[in-house]
Amino acid sequence: MPKQKREAALEHPRQNDWDLQELMERLGGDQEFLRELLVMFREDVRMNLQKSRKAMAESDYELLTRTAHTMKGMLRNLSMGVAAETAAALEQVSRENLQGESQELLERLTKELDGILPEVEAQLAEAKP
Amino acid sequence: MRIIIAEDDAISRTLLEGTLQRAGYEVIAVENGAKAFAELVKHDAPRLALLDWIMPEMDGVEVCREIRRRKEQAYTYLILLSSRESKEDIVAGLESGADDYLTKPFDVDELKARLRTGHRILELEDHLVEARESMRFHATHDLLTSLWNRGVILELMAHEITRSRRERNCTALMMCDIDHFKSVNDQYGHAIGDEVLREVARRLHNSVRSYDMVGRYGGEEFLVALNKCNPESAVSRAENLRTKVAGRPIQTADKPLTVTISIGLALSSEFTQCTVEELMHQADMALYAAKAAGRNCVRVAQPSSIGKPADEQIKEAQVLTP
Repeated sequence: MPKQKREAALEHPRQNDWDLQELMERLGGDQEFLRELLVMFREDVRMNLQKSRKAMAESDYELLTRTAHTMKGMLRNLSMGVAAETAAALEQVSRENLQGESQELLERLTKELDGILPEVEAQLAEAKP
Repeated sequence: MRIIIAEDDAISRTLLEGTLQRAGYEVIAVENGAKAFAELVKHDAPRLALLDWIMPEMDGVEVCREIRRRKEQAYTYLILLSSRESKEDIVAGLESGADDYLTKPFDVDELKARLRTGHRILELEDHLVEARESMRFHATHDLLTSLWNRGVILELMAHEITRSRRERNCTALMMCDIDHFKSVNDQYGHAIGDEVLREVARRLHNSVRSYDMVGRYGGEEFLVALNKCNPESAVSRAENLRTKVAGRPIQTADKPLTVTISIGLALSSEFTQCTVEELMHQADMALYAAKAAGRNCVRVAQPSSIGKPADEQIKEAQVLTP
């Protein structure tokens, strides 16, 4: 990857952490559906981060690329723009077996997701049927 | 309308599934391309598919390629789901046989609009198939009676006789002609004549097995071929056809009419050296004999009369019913 592009990938412009309004539009205002997805998200995020860390530790860049790709899709669908772009950047750098960048982006992604999870929990508590 | 979605990420899959269900679709959701392919090649499979580009087992592009390889199936409208980074792959995706693509995360209105395009294409395909089937039917069937037309029944019969010779069994060939049909037309008009033709055709068709063949040979003449027919029961089966027509009057718009038919029967096993045309000729001569014997009867062509003048062949055809 050219250096410029890599830097752009690492320093993407700041977006909304979580655009809940956009997500609700996508869900047609269905609170119950939102709840269902967030419960799934809580599980899937944990599993995927675990998988990524293991792949990183074993320098399994193929698995890391695939997992980052899955997280990217999931996060974009849930309108979690910032984390989604980090996952996208991670997908790019791990595809090119760039260890340092991959490590850095995985850490950043973990931090960003750690920031979102309390919001998700709050939303789940609020949307309790 | 039914639709298949294939997406490995559970959240994206659930989101798509919920969105499409709300839009009125019956959704089959699977998590990889291999499962999507297995669903899409089933009989009566959904004809709309949303396939994620990158999936384990078989990716979306491979599914498209495999589906397009199968030409015998009804058309399936395939939409690939791509992430916006892989735009450069879009040409490859479309060349694999996809009809369209959507960038994730999808916009609900755009998704619906693109699926509507799919509906239009599928409807167009259905109309074309329907038109082709209707043309095929008209090219092979008689317009009035819906039986096989002359060209097709002759071809089918020739094929059947060749087969029965190869397998050493017998095809019974019957030339059936409505007695005094001209007077029906003269007395009651052509519309009633047509009703009589249709009803005789229906009775003949309903009196044979599904693998036998009935065609309209000419004006009031019908050709029946009984496949794998036991030669000993051929006559009684011809008799059965005759009585099915003569047995009860035909209800026409004018009044009930009693109609009879004469039948000339030739058995392929009795004329092993004859060509299909010669066998037809034998059935024809037997039909003349049935007419000469007073009509409303069956006559059987005799192998001993081969090569004799027509009038002697007619004389020799065996009388079977009064």
